[in-house]
Amino acid sequence: MDWLFLTEVFLAGLGAGALYAVTGVAFVLIYKATRVVNLAIGEILMLGGYAFFGAAAGWHLPAWIALPVAVLSGALVGAVVERGLIRPMLGESPISVFMVTIGLGSILAGFVQVVWGADPLRLPEFMPSAPIFLGEAYLAPKVAYGFLAAMLVLAACVSALRFSRGGVALKATAADQGAAYSVGIDVPRVFSLSWIVACAVAAGAGVLVGAIGGISPTMGVFGLSVLVVVIVGGLDSMVGALVGGLLIGVVEAFAGTFLGGEYKFLVTFSIMILVLMLRPYGLFGTHEIERL
Amino acid sequence: MTREFTRRNVLGGGAAMGAGLALGIRPLAAQGGGEIVLGGSIPLTGVFAFAGVGIHAGIQDYLKIVNDAGGVEGRKIKYVAEDTGYKVDASVAAFNKITGQEKVSLYYGDSTGFSKTINPELERRGSMIMAGASFASELNDPRKYPLQFMAGPDYSEMFGILLRYIAKEKPAARLAFVYSDTEFGRDPIAPSETLAKTLGLNVVEKIVTPPGSVDVSTEVLKLRRANPDFTIFHGYVLAPIPEFITQARQMGLRSKFMGTFWSMDNSTVQRMGEVAEGFMGVMPYRYYYDSEGKSPMLEKIRQMRPEYQSTAYLQGFVTALLMCEAVKRTLSAGKELTGANLKVGLNGIKDFDTGGLFGVPISIPGNSVPVGRIYAFDGKARQMVPASDWIRLGA
Repeated sequence: MDWLFLTEVFLAGLGAGALYAVTGVAFVLIYKATRVVNLAIGEILMLGGYAFFGAAAGWHLPAWIALPVAVLSGALVGAVVERGLIRPMLGESPISVFMVTIGLGSILAGFVQVVWGADPLRLPEFMPSAPIFLGEAYLAPKVAYGFLAAMLVLAACVSALRFSRGGVALKATAADQGAAYSVGIDVPRVFSLSWIVACAVAAGAGVLVGAIGGISPTMGVFGLSVLVVVIVGGLDSMVGALVGGLLIGVVEAFAGTFLGGEYKFLVTFSIMILVLMLRPYGLFGTHEIERL
Repeated sequence: MTREFTRRNVLGGGAAMGAGLALGIRPLAAQGGGEIVLGGSIPLTGVFAFAGVGIHAGIQDYLKIVNDAGGVEGRKIKYVAEDTGYKVDASVAAFNKITGQEKVSLYYGDSTGFSKTINPELERRGSMIMAGASFASELNDPRKYPLQFMAGPDYSEMFGILLRYIAKEKPAARLAFVYSDTEFGRDPIAPSETLAKTLGLNVVEKIVTPPGSVDVSTEVLKLRRANPDFTIFHGYVLAPIPEFITQARQMGLRSKFMGTFWSMDNSTVQRMGEVAEGFMGVMPYRYYYDSEGKSPMLEKIRQMRPEYQSTAYLQGFVTALLMCEAVKRTLSAGKELTGANLKVGLNGIKDFDTGGLFGVPISIPGNSVPVGRIYAFDGKARQMVPASDWIRLGA
């Protein structure tokens, strides 16, 4: 048994899983507050990657400015979409809102193609490129830094939910909207806040994903891979996004190594079906989740 | 639009016809037809839009050259295209719409899926030939796809050109194939393994990546274990090739990295950044900037478009050129423009000079043009430069 190789595969899986987890947080934040499954998260992630590209390569801004520009552009899109498209849909059937987010995804993909063209692009290098060795185990630098960044974002989101007023308001709204109203919580504002933060997180994740795999108008499909992660973890659970992301990342890494890349999705979706059969609300989700 | 048969219209039409006959002007139908239509299901949006936009421009430019020079045998070529988003159902809908509205003799399809789906209808109609963006090996079978062709080598032939080059450069070399888990990616793998054995090469690893995968760290770990002399990517455009090479080099791998047609565009390879240095691959056409030897057609392209044009543009341009050549040969032989006659005209192309677009005279004995050359990226020149002579399969 080559333990060094197994360790390297495990670390690579954790790195990939961290990207899933941080993107999963964006799904969870919106679902938790508004009960909307936002299928445009992948495209907002893509928009974040392009916003970074536009700022760093187009305007030649340094990465430490381009990154906040990308995150803010995601937040802005979140605010506009929530206020302009989603809030008027409140009270409509979940399928209608679901379809609105699918349409939004197509619009965003078309928008980046019009602005930046259809060619696949590479983000300017902004992470340290020196290889990282944990003992003798190699870890790709972008994956390692992506993992660190994802863990920081996750920790910040969990802390904000637990300790900030907005986070507590979001949890209260998630638990019982009527009760939240009755204690003076501005529920529509909570909805807005959840969309803004979630889209900002997705845009930031887009920069990490784009730094590793490049950007293109079709990179939004990454969001669909993450949807599996949050279904496994539980659509309304931050811990679920983290555990689900890392679990799927590691399982995919071992499946790809020992079975072949063609079995990655097979294994992932098998896990999803198994989890749904045993715990239909996901590993860490709450029971009242309404399935579409 | 409806037209009323009033006494004035009938008298006016009769007078015009009479005057025309008196002046020796023959009605259009008597000349053997008007415009020849080239229809196209073109992926201007969607995952293949990066190529579709260039293909569209290439077709338009070649037809402009032809039409400005008076057309083919005096007949202009009209281009009618619809965006498909690279979806087979949309491509079929576009085909039905265009062929319903026009008498189409030539058609450009956007994908292998579409080419296979539409083939029975193409044969049923028997009125046109078709080429497209697909270089699928399966399509290179004149018995199964008698009215189709491709403007270059099929994917297996591309691998064949790469493998012959490798066998010459480093006999008994160790190879790894890295490909996407798609029809496009899997296409040349099995026949190329067999060919590698025949050429004395060792395929030591085959790595499959799921479509849309971002992180390839585990795949690079497998590659490090295999330690190949050459790694051939297929089924990708850009990602994940740069990250693959970056990580492989960081791990100390000395493998040379190669690609096939759709990852060989000069601007695409430039986007790989530092790791582009030495990236190699197979190309059937000369690059836009190539000034080696005589290439009057490239000169024309450079006059029309002073900025760099992609390999996808050249693919569209060459496809239109070969289609027009088939039309020319069919009309010169006094034959009707049917699919079968056009294909005979196309297969009659032998040692044909494409104005320097292919680096050597070409022949189309079947459904492909089995010619290519190895190019490698020169970081200083920021260009793909020739690394071999032109290689003709079956020659």
